[in-house]
Amino acid sequence: MSYEIRNVNGAAVVALNGDVDLQTSPVVRQKLLESLEGNTKVVVDLSAVNYIDSSGVASLVEAFQVSRKKGASFALASVSSAAMRVLSLARLDKVFTIHSSVEAATQG
Amino acid sequence: MGMPKQASKRVADKAEVQTGADKHAGHGVKDHLGLLAEMTREFTASSDYKTIAQSALARITTYMGAEAASLFLVSDTGEALVCSACYGPVDITGLNIAANTGVVGRAVATREGALVRDVAERADFGAAVDAKTGFTTRSLLVAPLAIGGDCLGAIEVINRIGGDGLFDAEDLLLLETLAGAAALAISNFRLTHKIVQQERNQHELELAAEIQRDLLPQATSRDFPIHGINIPARSVSGDFFDILPLPDGRIWFNVADVSGKGMNAALLMAKTSSLFRCLAKSAEDPGQLLNAINNELCETNSHGMFVTMVGGLFHPGTGSLRLTNAGHEPPLHFDLRTERFIAIPADAPPLGIAQDIAGPDGFPVTEIFLAGGMLYVFTDGLTEATTFGGGMLGIDGVRALIRDHAEETPDLRLKSIAGAVKLPGQSLRDDLTLLVVEDMGLAPVGAKPPIDNKLSVEDGQIMRIRIPARPDRLKLIRAATEQACKYCDAPEPWTFDLKMAVDEACQNIVRHAYGNRGEGDIMIDYSREGDVLVVDIMDFADAVDPETIKSRNLSEVRPGGLGVHLIKSVCDDARFVPPPPGVGNLFKLTKRLPNKVS
Repeated sequence: MSYEIRNVNGAAVVALNGDVDLQTSPVVRQKLLESLEGNTKVVVDLSAVNYIDSSGVASLVEAFQVSRKKGASFALASVSSAAMRVLSLARLDKVFTIHSSVEAATQG
Repeated sequence: MGMPKQASKRVADKAEVQTGADKHAGHGVKDHLGLLAEMTREFTASSDYKTIAQSALARITTYMGAEAASLFLVSDTGEALVCSACYGPVDITGLNIAANTGVVGRAVATREGALVRDVAERADFGAAVDAKTGFTTRSLLVAPLAIGGDCLGAIEVINRIGGDGLFDAEDLLLLETLAGAAALAISNFRLTHKIVQQERNQHELELAAEIQRDLLPQATSRDFPIHGINIPARSVSGDFFDILPLPDGRIWFNVADVSGKGMNAALLMAKTSSLFRCLAKSAEDPGQLLNAINNELCETNSHGMFVTMVGGLFHPGTGSLRLTNAGHEPPLHFDLRTERFIAIPADAPPLGIAQDIAGPDGFPVTEIFLAGGMLYVFTDGLTEATTFGGGMLGIDGVRALIRDHAEETPDLRLKSIAGAVKLPGQSLRDDLTLLVVEDMGLAPVGAKPPIDNKLSVEDGQIMRIRIPARPDRLKLIRAATEQACKYCDAPEPWTFDLKMAVDEACQNIVRHAYGNRGEGDIMIDYSREGDVLVVDIMDFADAVDPETIKSRNLSEVRPGGLGVHLIKSVCDDARFVPPPPGVGNLFKLTKRLPNKVS
């Protein structure tokens, strides 16, 4: 798994690439929480995620909860079919704000 | 309370009173005994306390040729003397004087009569009462109402009419004799009153017991999956159970035990069972429901009472059951196929002790797939009951009874189990409640294919891998699962789901079975049995209690606890089965291949 963080229209976009599993989710968790510290808007680009397990989902949920406490905005963008399958099984697809693309997520 | 009419009349009629005084002067022992006999007759004839006291005072006053008399009784707290009846020109009924003070107080404290021949000669006479009433006390007699070691109060007689208006020692002796009879009468009256009150309480208790029985659910029909029985040790019970079917087919149930016995326990039981019924109708999950009941109880409950409860929601369509155990005796899950019992211990405190202890997630929930088995929930009235052999039944005794009566119909079985600790006509030491939930096999055929306990058969085996249980090896396990699916020509989405299920199961081994220590191995057998792909996931750690592996409550948004839910969502069956020798735990996943493949 690899990640890349860039700034688009004032939002921190965290792009994840590869498998988010028990081995890699601690890094994902740390990067998401760090991004929330310095930004009021964080978008997670899941387009290149081949696999995400329950620990990866838990990292997303934790970041989501922290953002709500801080009044920051937290959204998922361009969710791969693999990631979407897990999110919908966990019934979290209705909980997260999900955009079709990073552009859509960072506008407005 | 006004002044007795006959009193004012008598006092006003000086000539008649004078006659009374003259008569007294000539009273002999015979007359005294006559008066005593008459008073005693009167005391035993009437049950009205006020009338007796009033009439006795009238007789004593007249007989002694006195102006007034009053009866003082020690208050409940013992701190005061209260005038409970009086006779004379001034009514002081209800007058309250501090105990141990004044002539009356001293007579009560010392249990000795007192004569104040002439008040004018006594500096310590409290004139406060006279000042209040306008009555002038000149001479005074006080006799204690002593009985056994107790002193109930005192009778005070004031001012002799006629002559010098003063009492003498002989008068005191007479009053003391009369007071003895009065004390006996008052004591008798109080005893009788107590017995009447007890009988009334007993009657009210019986009414309460009747209402309480109505709070329990009606007996369920034989084909209903849940049955219960409640046998109170006394007329009212601190135990209860409830069965509440929902319109969608699911069924709420509970078994609870209120701390303490008797009326307090019965009242708290009524409150808790009402809360359960009311809140269950809108609750989604037992963890939330018991949390809500706990918060309600804490808002008003006091006196250190609490309730232990197992509350659950059973889904007869799938045989699945979710339950929360709040400080209650662990229910037993009896697996019919393996004939093994699994206890579900309490992982939450009893209800009514502390508010908001559970946090936003509610109380912890255990999910159980009955799979043709049964769940027994009971109170400690069963485990702690005495058997006919004399010992305590205990949890092993309960297990043995369940096994012995497994073939009986549920209704009869519950009666047989309860009957093993209770003889007809004899009462129990504690309330006994027992409830059974049975999976009657209503699950759609094929939804959960039955799996045998043996390891996957050799001829259908695809491959076996053994790999260190470490997070960095999970990727290899996913690759292996993918290859096994490819071998079966399974399509991509199907493969993804099984890959995820195996990954989550292995993750649990890494994190929980081996406790993240990075040691130990995972062994996986992939095999095909007809149109079903079977994955046996084995570890070599200590055995885990499968019922403690919890599925998460999806209505709550929080990290963690998702794995079991994901596994169960995508597999046709997922369960722990007895492992082969040398293996710690065996978790078996089965997933039916899509039609076009098989």
